[in-house]
This record gives sequence, structure tokens and C-alpha cells, in this order.
Amino acid sequence: MSRIPLTSIEQQPEPVRQWMARRGNLNVFRLLANAPNVFVGWTQMVDELFDSPTFCLRMREVVILRVARLQNSRYELTQHIAIARDAGLTEQQISAIVETEDFDAAGFSDTERTALDVTTELCTTHRLRDDTFAAAQAVLGDEALTELLMIISCYYGLALVLSAVDLDADATARFQP
Amino acid sequence: MTRIAYRQPEEMTEQARELTLKRGNLNVYRALANADKVFTGWMLAGQGVLTSPVLPIRLRELVVLRTAHLMDCPYELGQHRDVARTAGLSGDEIKAVTSGSDWQTAHFEPVELAVLHLTTEVLTTRSVSTEVFDQVHTALGSEATVELLMVISRYAGLALMLNALDVDLDESARLPIPPVHS
Repeated sequence: MSRIPLTSIEQQPEPVRQWMARRGNLNVFRLLANAPNVFVGWTQMVDELFDSPTFCLRMREVVILRVARLQNSRYELTQHIAIARDAGLTEQQISAIVETEDFDAAGFSDTERTALDVTTELCTTHRLRDDTFAAAQAVLGDEALTELLMIISCYYGLALVLSAVDLDADATARFQP
Repeated sequence: MTRIAYRQPEEMTEQARELTLKRGNLNVYRALANADKVFTGWMLAGQGVLTSPVLPIRLRELVVLRTAHLMDCPYELGQHRDVARTAGLSGDEIKAVTSGSDWQTAHFEPVELAVLHLTTEVLTTRSVSTEVFDQVHTALGSEATVELLMVISRYAGLALMLNALDVDLDESARLPIPPVHS
């Protein structure tokens, strides 16, 4: 049960209502809308992360699912397993990311594999070894590598909020990436 | 040594440049600006966290320092030890909150202690006890509690990026904050 009351979409100013109509009437947005001074800027960040052409949807979902798993975020997992399926990840790949960690057998691309390695090492040790960083920089380049860090950062941090509040998973509403 | 090249403000879009310069043209911004398709949104998200009057700056800086310590982020610690001092924290308070457990016996207000407990619990166990959460929520209300959680969220996520890129602490430039009214 959410420890903070969720706002209703009707209470929101028009731009926020429109944003939630576009991205989904999710419990997480209704929670964060309790703090309008920070929520509005946060929605602009989410828009840029999902509108950027740097990564395809599938690649982003690989990263988000891995963060959700490493942060033990039930809420993020519930949302993003469904989105990852729509984005073309196979059941074996999803299971590798959130359960078995057998990445080699799941047929990820080299870029996806690099992103998984970066995400795993960074979320578990809070830093990257020189060789991990160099490998990722060689595969992705500076721009995409930094953008990858932005995705990890967003979902790592969000998972903490969701866990602290003990936010309930949405019954049916799904995020619209 | 920072592992990627810094972007210069002149290379940024007008909005990104304005936000970067307003916040002291710090190394953190010039490093993250490499992700130029998402950097502006990230800066806008931070603008709310840094300018909202809902959460007292002193409380915010306590949380930032505690988060920086638990995430083991030298850059955040280097910046915010100074920012916290400007926000009215004493040297002893700063030392206590960036230590293992000294903060528990330092002379913090009950609400500050509750907030430090919440920050420590969520960052180390990914959950918060009902008692601690209720204490914070009752003292601060829903709006400030969500803001507080968003501060933890932002600085924990930022710590990962700073550590991954190994961003050098700025020599003297610090995040400007509004003067403290006493």
C-alpha cells in the first residue's frame, strides 16, 4: 500500500494532465505529482530520454530492466517486463536479465552486452573499472555512453523512491515509451 | 582524471548553456553535456530540486551529503561539503553526516535524524521501516517528503554517473545557492 496518498489526474494543471494522458496514468506519476516543483522538470527529462534517437526502445529496455532487477524494484519490473516484450525482447532474454544472468546464452547483440556489463558493474559497485569503461567507450562513443549513464541514473534513483514509498504496481496502466 | 572530454558552454544549445552557466559552469555539467540529446532535460529536472522552497536547504544538504557518502562519490562530497557550509551546517555536522554512524549521536533535530535514518535505510537496504517513514512523513507532509525522496534519487543516480566518468572536482567553482536567511 502506498505510504503517500496518490494525487488524482483531475487535480493536475493542464500541462501535467496532458503529459499523463500521453505517457500513462501511472501510480508513479500520481505519486510524484505531490511535489509539483520537481515533478514538472522531471517529466521533461523523461521525455528527452525516451524521445532521443540515440538508442532504440529495445536497447533502453535492456538497460532499464537490468537496473530494476539490481535495485529489486518490483514496480519498475512490473512495468518494464511488459514494455520489454513489446520492444522485441524474448522470454529467454528477459529471464536472463531479471533472473538467470546467463547473458551469453540469450543472444544479445554486442552493444546490448556492453550495456548490460556497464549497468551491472555500476549498480553493484558504484563505479566502473578502467577496462570496463574503455570497452564501453570504444563500442558506444562518448555521447551514447553518457546517455546510457543518464538512463541508468534515472531508473536507479527512481527505484529508491518507489521502494521507500512502497508504491503499488499499476493494475493495467502501462507507461507509453 | 575525467574519462571523457568536457563540452564547452559555447558548444551547447542556448537553454543548456544558460542552465550550465547559472549553476557555476561546473565540471559535472560539462561532462554530462556529452549526452546532448538528454542533458537539457536532466538540467531542468535538477532546477526544480535546487530551487523549490518546499524543502529547507539545510535539510536538503544533509540528505545530499549522506547520499554522497553512502554512494562513495568524491565529487559530490567535494562540492557539497562547501555548499552545506553555506547552507548553515557546521564543520562537525558535516563530518558526522559523512561518517559511518557518528551522525546518530550528533546534535541533530529529531526530524533531521529521521531524515538521515530514511536516507541511510533506503540506500543500504532498498527499503524503509514503517516507523522511520511515518516519522518523516508526519513531520514534513507529502509534498516535502516526495521532494526529499527526489533529492536522494537524483544524487544517488548522479553519483553513479560521476563515479563512472571519474569527473575531477572543480578547483574552486561551487554550485551557487541562494544566501541563507537567518
